[in-house]
Amino acid sequence: MERFDKELLKTAVEEATRSGAKEVIAELIEEDTSQIRFSNSSIDVNKNWDRCYLDLFLSKGRTFSLGKKISTLTIQDPDPKKIKEMVPKEVRKLEVLPKSKLYWGMDDDTHSSYPEVEELYDPRIEVFSERAPKLMDNTIQQSLEAGGKKVSGVLHFGKRKRGLLTGYGNGDTYKTSHCEATIRSFHESGSSGQELVVTRDLSDVEKKLYQAGRKAGRLAKKSANGQEGKEGTYDLIMSPTVGANIFEHLLSGANPIMMIAGMSCLKGKMGEQISSEKLSVKDDPLVSGGMNSRPFDAEGTPSKKTSILQDGVFTGLINNTSSAKLWKFMNWKKLKFWVRPKTTSNSELGQIGMTGTENDPRTLIPKASNYVFEPGTYSLQEMISSSRRPTIYLTSNWYTRFTNMREGEFSTVPRDAMFLIKEGEFKRPLKNLRLKGNLIEMAKSVEGIGNKLKQVKWWEVNTPTFIPHIKIRDCTFTKAKQ
Amino acid sequence: MDGKSLSDHAVEYGGKKGAQYSEARFVSSVDENYIARNGEFLSIQEKPTKGIGIRVLFDGCMGFGSTDRLDRKSVENLIDSLIRSAKLTKREEPIGLSEEKTVQTRWKCPVKIPFKDVSDEKKRDFIKDLDRSIKKRTDGLIKNRIIFLNTKQENKYIANSDGSQINSKKSYISILTMLNANVDGKREQRLLGLGSTSGWEWVRKKSLKKRIVKEAIKLVKAVKDAREFEFKKPIDVVVSGDVSGIMAHENVGHPSEADRIMGREGAQAGESFYRDLIEESEIGKIKMGNEKVSIIDDPTMRGSPGYYLYDDECVKARKRYLVKDGYLNQLLLNREYAHAFGTSSNAASRSNSYSREPIVRMSNTFFEPGQYKKEELIEDVERGILMNSFTEWNIDDRRFHSKYVGLETYLIKDGEVTDTMIKRPVLELTTKSILKSIDAVSKDYVSRMAPCGKSDPMQPVPVSVGGPHLRMRDIEVR
Repeated sequence: MERFDKELLKTAVEEATRSGAKEVIAELIEEDTSQIRFSNSSIDVNKNWDRCYLDLFLSKGRTFSLGKKISTLTIQDPDPKKIKEMVPKEVRKLEVLPKSKLYWGMDDDTHSSYPEVEELYDPRIEVFSERAPKLMDNTIQQSLEAGGKKVSGVLHFGKRKRGLLTGYGNGDTYKTSHCEATIRSFHESGSSGQELVVTRDLSDVEKKLYQAGRKAGRLAKKSANGQEGKEGTYDLIMSPTVGANIFEHLLSGANPIMMIAGMSCLKGKMGEQISSEKLSVKDDPLVSGGMNSRPFDAEGTPSKKTSILQDGVFTGLINNTSSAKLWKFMNWKKLKFWVRPKTTSNSELGQIGMTGTENDPRTLIPKASNYVFEPGTYSLQEMISSSRRPTIYLTSNWYTRFTNMREGEFSTVPRDAMFLIKEGEFKRPLKNLRLKGNLIEMAKSVEGIGNKLKQVKWWEVNTPTFIPHIKIRDCTFTKAKQ
Repeated sequence: MDGKSLSDHAVEYGGKKGAQYSEARFVSSVDENYIARNGEFLSIQEKPTKGIGIRVLFDGCMGFGSTDRLDRKSVENLIDSLIRSAKLTKREEPIGLSEEKTVQTRWKCPVKIPFKDVSDEKKRDFIKDLDRSIKKRTDGLIKNRIIFLNTKQENKYIANSDGSQINSKKSYISILTMLNANVDGKREQRLLGLGSTSGWEWVRKKSLKKRIVKEAIKLVKAVKDAREFEFKKPIDVVVSGDVSGIMAHENVGHPSEADRIMGREGAQAGESFYRDLIEESEIGKIKMGNEKVSIIDDPTMRGSPGYYLYDDECVKARKRYLVKDGYLNQLLLNREYAHAFGTSSNAASRSNSYSREPIVRMSNTFFEPGQYKKEELIEDVERGILMNSFTEWNIDDRRFHSKYVGLETYLIKDGEVTDTMIKRPVLELTTKSILKSIDAVSKDYVSRMAPCGKSDPMQPVPVSVGGPHLRMRDIEVR
């Protein structure tokens, strides 16, 4: 972490302000991350990324105007010379840019302290790369012993240091560590089981990985000789992995920008009962060990929880300062004019491009941190044993696509272990079905919530989500008939 | 130290440290991104990026790393750490790479008008004008119009320990439109990507704007006119290049990727049903569809989104028949999997950034055009549908069970396309049933750009999906 120099933030903010920017955010990130990918029970590749960059968000414009001029600059491998060369040039460019009608300003309060967030960094990460290949070999072995015939997966781990300074003097620095694994075990063609490990705490990472390996192996074996599923209506038990994927699509709509872009099925539903009263969800940037937990957001606003769904009622939006102001302006008839629009501390210098790499443009957008579901009372076993109607238990899914995001019409493809439950018992493993539904209708049909939260983040889930098993009644399953 | 010298040094250093193979890829690029909603700009950015990506094969174990610290010491440290990881890794079967001809060359995309020669204002005016045209021609019924314009100038230098050294200059431009039509509470959405490896001259083609506007008009028509329709019996289905393109990509292109077949993408992007076919029979003898079906992946198509002349392992690009005359003919191979299959690479190795490992990818994938006119395909249909575009689609992770939901779709009756539009017809079919049901292929060809996603970290690469019209017989449509 020798490239991380807090002074760079100060230099950048001073340079931008001196050059004429009215609002400035400087965010310095240094990352050292690694990945081990494996398949056919062997490691295929070890990867390592080393990068350090300074992101600058700049704006110009009058305090009370409909939109401001904005610009974002990324300086790779930053040093004072690059900052002094590149920042004034970028500020000059602002002059000729048109206003962004979606940008209405940032948090101009001064924040002197930030909340403590537990379990952000584990010093054991510093030597983890020495252990990681052996750990994965052992995890693969555990999965094979539990029933897998071959194992594929990925382990992603590393450390990150983040520093922030805004033109209003807000920000601080902190570091994080992370370890995420996907383990997928295959028993025979078409039969597989998958389990995830998502943690910042490395104290018992060995145990977590081995347990996950064994679970993937057991599921692969248990789902062997799956029968062709039959189309129809079933009750559905979603594993946390499946629930996190489907509900992420619903919850991501609790964002003014998604509503404006026509990508939200929650538009116009604030204050309404949009799901079963059993469902309560918060955005929580302070949750211990959350993969997107943080003491402050990109505007330097102290992190706080925001209720999105409370007893099924749509209670809140994810906002940054700009989107909160814009939202109030757009809904001036409904919202009290004397109430100051407030950020929910969800501002991020987020990627808005298509490549998923450092080439993507970034801008200041409201973005969820971690979704945290309120646990219910059921154990998975109770959910299964209380299923009197034909029920399908899905452990994993992929390729969720929408006919229309505004309406919430979608389908997704179950993969890995999938079981038919009848009369409260596992009847048989199934294969080759597709789940089709509507996000709102499914949320309204939630019948039971599990009592154990699990953090999910993987290839199909971007926003870290603490979620239990969830049971939904009357879900439609289809299949390719020909 | 410049990128070329640094890359050459990395290759030399890898060799000194005992690597069986080392490869360095220095990439310097400038991306310009314009994002507008309803003609108002939300974000305009220019993003220069540079860095070096390095692969080393040490004792049969592969390592990949990247850094944005462009000095000798940092590159040496990176190689040391990759070799250290390789030493900690045990593989029963060592990874090998196919022998390939060494190449020292340079190549570039033909460009008439470089992006840097076009003013920012001109680029903005193009987007504003496009937005105005969409709004006007659809009577304001598309209330949410989002347009992304990306230009990318990429300079790349690749060197490897076999002695290959390639310099390339690539110029890429794409437009993505997200349109939301809303008529009396009825809604449809359409995401359309178009792209080219060329300069600003691509934007000046009148046909580009015309095509986007035409798609917008059709979207509104689908919202207004489409109605629910129940097909009780199987019918014939004619699909356009838009739909045949996504089928070629999803149902044949992805399962042809040799790394999937061998399980390397097992944990995320999935495997391939080809594995079973190849275990049972030989490539070249596996019947996939009738003899009218040939499917090509061709990176050498000038100006196409997936264009390149050498892949990211310095192998010369070529046209590949994935399916020829109804038989599985070729897989998509990089050097690692060419070695595993005991053959040579066919240049399918791509990476979308210096920070991403090169892996097996598609380029421009399509059904080979046949001999019929589109009208001839239709005139032989007694009762069926013509599906011109699609919305939702997905496929299982072995690429066998797929679903395509139609957007602009018309009823065909007695050999003629009627005015009756069908609302969201669903084709839920296996790859086998798609390929076996095709009995005629038209000679026209149309394509669009799509970012094809794969691997972890995800690395979407631009590809073109398109092709001719296909006629599929006796299809169950929901």
